[in-house]
Amino acid sequence: MTLLEAILLTVITASTPLLIAAIGELVVEKSGVLNLGVEGMMIMGAACGIVAAIATGSGALGVIAAILAGMAMAALFAALTLGLAANQVAAGLALTIFGIGLSGVVGAAHVGAQRAGIGKLEIPVLADIPFLGPLLFNQDPFVYASFALTAGVAWFLTRSKAGLVLRACGESAASAHALGYPVLRIRFLAILFGGACAGLAGAYLSLVLTPFWTSGMTAGRGWIALAIVVFASWLPWRAALGAYLFGGITILQLHAQGAGFRVPPQLMSALPYLITIVVLVLIMRLRRGGTAGPAGLGLPFVPDR
Amino acid sequence: MRLVLERRSETPLALRLGSPLLAVTLTLASAFVIFAAMGQDPLNALHVYFIAPLSDSWGLQEVAVKATPLVLISVGLALCYRSNNWNIGAEGQFLVGAMAGGWLALATHGAPDGPWLLPAMLACGALGGALFALIPALLKTRFGANEILTSLMLVYVAELLLDWLVRGPWRDPQGFNMPVTVTFEPEAVVPLLLEGGRLNIGTPIALLVVALLAVLVGRTLKGFEIRLVGEAPRAARFAGFDEKKLTWTVFAISGALAGLAGILEAAGTVRMLQPGISPGYGFTAIIVAFLGRLNPVGCLVAGVFLAVTFIGAENAQIMLRLPLDVTRVFQGLLLFYVLACDTLLLYRPRLVRGAHA
Amino acid sequence: MTLTRRHLLGTAGALAGATTLGRTAEAQQRLNVGVVLIGPVGDFGWSHMHDQGRRRMAEVLGDRVNATTVESVAPPDFDRVVTQLVRTGHRLIFTTSFSYFAPTQRLAPQHPQVFFENATGPTTLPNMAIYNARFYEGRYIQGVIAARKSRSKTIGYVATFPVPEVIHAINTVMRGAWSVDPSMKVRVVWVNAWSNPAREADAARALIDQGCDVLCSHTDGPAPLQLAEQRGIFGFGQASDMTRFAPRAHLTSSVNNWGDYYAERAQAVIAGNWRPTDTWGGLGSGMFRMAPFTNMTPEEVSEAERVRDAIASGRLHPFDGPIVRQDGTQVIAAGQRLTDDQIRAQNYFYQGIEAAIPG
Repeated sequence: MTLLEAILLTVITASTPLLIAAIGELVVEKSGVLNLGVEGMMIMGAACGIVAAIATGSGALGVIAAILAGMAMAALFAALTLGLAANQVAAGLALTIFGIGLSGVVGAAHVGAQRAGIGKLEIPVLADIPFLGPLLFNQDPFVYASFALTAGVAWFLTRSKAGLVLRACGESAASAHALGYPVLRIRFLAILFGGACAGLAGAYLSLVLTPFWTSGMTAGRGWIALAIVVFASWLPWRAALGAYLFGGITILQLHAQGAGFRVPPQLMSALPYLITIVVLVLIMRLRRGGTAGPAGLGLPFVPDR
Repeated sequence: MRLVLERRSETPLALRLGSPLLAVTLTLASAFVIFAAMGQDPLNALHVYFIAPLSDSWGLQEVAVKATPLVLISVGLALCYRSNNWNIGAEGQFLVGAMAGGWLALATHGAPDGPWLLPAMLACGALGGALFALIPALLKTRFGANEILTSLMLVYVAELLLDWLVRGPWRDPQGFNMPVTVTFEPEAVVPLLLEGGRLNIGTPIALLVVALLAVLVGRTLKGFEIRLVGEAPRAARFAGFDEKKLTWTVFAISGALAGLAGILEAAGTVRMLQPGISPGYGFTAIIVAFLGRLNPVGCLVAGVFLAVTFIGAENAQIMLRLPLDVTRVFQGLLLFYVLACDTLLLYRPRLVRGAHA
Repeated sequence: MTLTRRHLLGTAGALAGATTLGRTAEAQQRLNVGVVLIGPVGDFGWSHMHDQGRRRMAEVLGDRVNATTVESVAPPDFDRVVTQLVRTGHRLIFTTSFSYFAPTQRLAPQHPQVFFENATGPTTLPNMAIYNARFYEGRYIQGVIAARKSRSKTIGYVATFPVPEVIHAINTVMRGAWSVDPSMKVRVVWVNAWSNPAREADAARALIDQGCDVLCSHTDGPAPLQLAEQRGIFGFGQASDMTRFAPRAHLTSSVNNWGDYYAERAQAVIAGNWRPTDTWGGLGSGMFRMAPFTNMTPEEVSEAERVRDAIASGRLHPFDGPIVRQDGTQVIAAGQRLTDDQIRAQNYFYQGIEAAIPG
């Protein structure tokens, strides 16, 4: 394996959780709901995933538990913001506080417990392609899931009728309602999808990347996922670009340090953030304006009967 | 059966008072369940959580100390959010304010010169925070780069900049190479107001800011402009208001207030610069702003409320030996209840039978 | 449940501090011990091991102590937490981070009846002791073992922040490695975090991809060690015995043990003979120990044991001269030894280490 391949492999593992969580949040925001609680849902996924996997001895059940935990958190958020039309920003932030606390309670008995990670899944034939094979087709199932999610959501939002309706809810809930679409139900499903993705991303951390539990192990990745949605201008493929850009710079700066570059490590660590800003500005310049977010983002909707 | 919400034409006074009471009642009910499940006496637990922080002068002063940065930052953020400017980087502006003001304290260390020093530090802190906040404002107005991303990313940059400064150029030469600056000279420390507590001039400053902004938002043309741009951007354009200029203004104000909070914290409670100088004030202030309904006086009330829950969480660890995570779950629940009960002010919930809307 | 008057008074009394509880009653009661942590108990590293120490103290002293932990205390909140501990009758308070040194030094004189102990720091006060363990002794042993196990002759070091504790640890690893093979090299990656498992794993991957085949880590969790296991190289555990995380890769771990020290200090307060000591315990003190050596040949084990025993008995000192900085200037000549203060403040890499010193 060459150094380039090795670096790319690491970039993929570093970017995958960001991409999965970002894709979920992208769908939520497209439906017109801003859920700032990604970090809270993600860490609940990480905690419930590892605890369930240890309790049942099954990685797959761990993943399912993580997804369910993310969805349960999302349902709580939906109950507040859809059912009671509460403020979305405040509810999302409260969800993060709640999730960080609850994950600590759930994981308390398992601090320092470990299990074997979920292994790679080699795709026959394709995995033998030189260079691309080992990179793309001999990965853990989460990486495939992240590709599938990106492609699926891109298709869903642009090509399917349901996707169109979901976007309509995000642009103008009142119009979508007037056309007879169940805005709240659609938003509810979108929020649940976002929670499932955040939970899955959390499970990637606690079941694959570093299979054990410590409190706060998501370490702010939920926030980065939120930023990636914005970076992407709510386009799924560009979310993949954003996640890989961020993950890529993160890994490259670690490599540069290991190679002995005499640059302060604080500057190195700041690079992913700075470069993301610079690239966003460049993209916006090239596109001369670019797409804005969903017009109804963050606005509560209460149907008048 | 399902729940539907009907918009109220006006909110009765009884409900304005009743909504917080309902939140409190729900909280008490959950607290009973949670604390009893943890083997605690629920009444004692609630006392420790909510009454103890307010039960004497020292406790009240601590609540003020904890609430001051939250209030200062949140009133600025409220201006941003009202005018649809999503500044979520107050944490970074707080840190840059601490660094900018701290720079002056370090530059004059050993030869502090007269009573101008502290006011100059506060001015530097506010200026630093404002300039740092203008970066996302510039990127937004000039390039159309979304401020949610840029302001958030700049938080991490500010954290790393502080880290670099206190490990490198600003490190205390006598500090055994630990990542701290020297302790500020007494002239560079925010003066205390009362004996036997930590209340400092930051709190009256915050109150003054709340009063000024309440007037600004409620009674001036600028305030009308801010509200109009947020609520009806098209109308605001017709009225000839310059949206870009407003973006600069609100980012500058909120950055300055976050920066001011930063230097007040550095020169007040910590008295030096070091990493970890903010326990997430800039992020918590976002909740405070929305709990306070983006209204300066509301932010004041919400800031005090959140400060009490933070101190209550510490008290619960000390007096009940509850783990921090349990107290966080409780804090999260509490916020959920407050948000949920807020709905009652705007809507009338009704259970109805029948088909979906 | 009824809310009684006595109940309320009791809480209020506790709040008002030791005065209302009555000093004579207090004397016969348990000693209240507070432990203030910089991180969460669940970090599985520095703070976790201090909390384990608190548990161990409670085990040893039984009903003679009541121990209270306060987690994740940021510097602006520190004064309040400590004052509240004092007001609720805690008479011995362990503040377990170098970030707490300056504020503890400021608060201790305000509460002369309370004994403070700060983990790490340069000076003491009449009611403030300092304590730490000489973890670098374990690092020297790691260096010796790493030099024996490495084929690529390159050690990878997942570092946290450039504080002296981490810098002298890297220096000592290399001292140990060079004692076996002077051609040993080290690559260092700073992750700018004490605990961020996925980032630590990424750093470990980068180091392995650059040819390192033994990993040392200074972060809280077992992530780098797990990576070593996955990639079939070797690594060391940090803070607790991490053998189970990497049965085939684990060589040894430095195991922190604060509990016996905490018990001893609490006992001293109870017995009335507490002194403001400066304790920097080495391998001989029991403040930390090396986990059993695994995945090593019998010869390698016996060499590691020999080095360990030599350090513990004081025959071998990791900071003996000559010591030359990266830039070629000499710190001390042969025959001299760094003082404790010089070790505590070390902010330079030795000549031969090719990594950059940050800041």
